[in-house]
Amino acid sequence: MKKNADAVVIGGGVIGTSIAYYLSKKGIGVILLEKDDLASGSSGACDIDIILQSKNPGIHLQLAMESAKMYETLADELDFDIEYNATGGMILIENEDQLKVMKDFVRRQKDIGLQVELLSLKEASKIQPGLSPHLVGATYSLQDAHVNPMRLCFAFSRAAKRLGAKVYLGTSVLDIRAENGKVKSVITNRGEIETNIVINAAGVYAPFIGEMAGLSLPIKPRRGQIIVTEPVPKLVMADVLCAKYIAAKYNPNLLKESDNPETRLGVGLSLSQTRDGQILIGATREFAGYNKNTTHEALHAIVNNAVRLVPALRHIHAIRSFAGLRPYTPDGLPLLGPVENVQGFIMAAGHEGDGIALSPVTGRIISDLITEGKTFMDVSKLSPSRFGSLSGNENAM
Amino acid sequence: MNEEYICRCEEVTRKEIQEAIDDGATTLAGVKRRTRAGMGLCQGRTCQRLVTQMLSKVKDPAEIKPPTSRPPVRAVKIGEIVEGEDE
Repeated sequence: MKKNADAVVIGGGVIGTSIAYYLSKKGIGVILLEKDDLASGSSGACDIDIILQSKNPGIHLQLAMESAKMYETLADELDFDIEYNATGGMILIENEDQLKVMKDFVRRQKDIGLQVELLSLKEASKIQPGLSPHLVGATYSLQDAHVNPMRLCFAFSRAAKRLGAKVYLGTSVLDIRAENGKVKSVITNRGEIETNIVINAAGVYAPFIGEMAGLSLPIKPRRGQIIVTEPVPKLVMADVLCAKYIAAKYNPNLLKESDNPETRLGVGLSLSQTRDGQILIGATREFAGYNKNTTHEALHAIVNNAVRLVPALRHIHAIRSFAGLRPYTPDGLPLLGPVENVQGFIMAAGHEGDGIALSPVTGRIISDLITEGKTFMDVSKLSPSRFGSLSGNENAM
Repeated sequence: MNEEYICRCEEVTRKEIQEAIDDGATTLAGVKRRTRAGMGLCQGRTCQRLVTQMLSKVKDPAEIKPPTSRPPVRAVKIGEIVEGEDE
């Protein structure tokens, strides 16, 4: 049977469900399509951090700070326990070179308004016991927090449904039909949906959706492997990253030539403890196509890095590893907003490892752009057109 | 009957698993993401069959995929993984 909707959102992760919610809140009739299940891709295979300190000072950090403000009241607004907790976060610094880089990072972040400070090892150890004595210090921000990304997807989806949105699970998009350069309908394995607006929130799979509209999108999967421990009493007091994480995130080219497996795999510490007591120890940043396997090499590299920085982890048992694919873009920023060549085709993908942190603000921006043509901040730097026309194969990666 | 525990590690009841299935879960992973069943210390060794049985009412049992198996196969002390590197 033929259906119709004001807007069709493709992707049931933290980005798609957020957009479905904020659009529904504005009275737009939404159908969300998800090929598997809510949170079945990257949003269900990641850590729990809403970390501001890791964001590049500039529009990236501004977005994260706006999102963080929205998180404070989100559980109440959605009427669902998303396990939000303002834990604070720290970035561990191992040597003078890193200290120099982090000092500059902190200064630029402070200029944008982030509350962040440099701590000595002694001060950092008061907040987070069990740190290695070789560290020279840490940066610390009270504004970092936690959320359960899977519960976030369910919360947004349920709230959107209460406002009238339809959520179709197990529904894959087969084609996008356009006439005279305007979106007309979406063809799925369960029939056709007429609509003038399609939002591509398919994360690492966004290039496949783009292709259906004749677009070549510069997004590719970057694998992150994470280890899960048995539940233990509170040990990780804040989100704990290391300065190498920042290097791994923003300098992929520096990493791939290295002889050291930790460096080559882009290992940077990301440590957090869930409400149930399990500790998540991450993570790698590797280009391995769409392969979601975990590897022994990475398991060792992650654990070695973590134990060097936080020796207290030695005595805890690991019970599982998992891997998720982060939607990487060449400039580390998501593609948000309309594309030039196909009217009604809106991009909302490419958040790499920042999708959880940026989920609420992305929903707000996309729903504003669709209903009002503008939003509360200048998002021109996030426009898909920064990569050129996107037609043909010029951005194929 | 609905209050009996299906996943003992995470203390998830039959009722909670049924709610997850009613919410659209059609796989073991879908139930796990909604309820935590199978996320605990035993990694689903106990509850997997029971959850599969419940899922078989909404899905052809032949199509219910086993969970992805991931290392380590059983709980390993992190210090032992680190030492393994030196061998």
